Amino acid sequence: MKVRRKQSVLRVDLLPSESALLGEIFDDLSELLVASEEGDPVVQRLYPDGYTDDDAASAEYRELVAADLKAERSARVQACRAELPPSGGRFELDDEAADRWIRVINDVRLAVGTRLGVSETEELDPESESTALYHWLTGVQEMLVMHLMA
Amino acid sequence: MSSTSTATPVREPEVAEQVDERADEQLDPDRPWVTVVWNDPVNLMSYVTHVFMKVFGYPKEKATALMLDVHQKGKAIVSSGPRERMEGDTATLHGYGLWATVQRDS
Repeated sequence: MKVRRKQSVLRVDLLPSESALLGEIFDDLSELLVASEEGDPVVQRLYPDGYTDDDAASAEYRELVAADLKAERSARVQACRAELPPSGGRFELDDEAADRWIRVINDVRLAVGTRLGVSETEELDPESESTALYHWLTGVQEMLVMHLMA
Repeated sequence: MSSTSTATPVREPEVAEQVDERADEQLDPDRPWVTVVWNDPVNLMSYVTHVFMKVFGYPKEKATALMLDVHQKGKAIVSSGPRERMEGDTATLHGYGLWATVQRDS
């Protein structure tokens, strides 16, 4: 994956294998957002409590915002899926689209990171495929954020 | 979902109490509400800075300083004002995957 700032847009080049991987990742996230259950730690991470010390206020907050947050998350990943060139190649993102991409990549990192049990102190299992995916997504996100802020 | 039937009778009086509480709080302008962002091990420092700039329109220096507070002190107050607006800010930050909560300014 290569990213370059070209005036008002980010120009992204993907290898066919990277397009395929992102396609799978986006599909997995779409599915997770629809099928997820309340007790799932990933769901708790994507939809945190609104209050640390007030369960009733948190429940009320959740009732107000959870459905919208979920619908917006799904819309974002579907928009990214539609922009993804199916077998690699070049595409351009304006700042709004790049912001959407980093949010979707971040949602995936939150999901994968939560399943892996990412913490500030412990090293991830270097043999695990999920660890490799997590680090790759971190690199992709860092690159997009860097060029978006430039 | 499975606990809905047992939870409902308990929840009703709590809701009633809470409405009263909110009315009192709104009469006390000296104690505003704040949105707090907490440190977490997944969100990248660059991403968190970008989010503060994008969501609040903060200049890069202020956004970076707040991000460093979150990273080094474990949390930072990122906005303050009426409760409804803080809930809105918190929801926006949740949409970006940040760990944010609403609380009374202490």
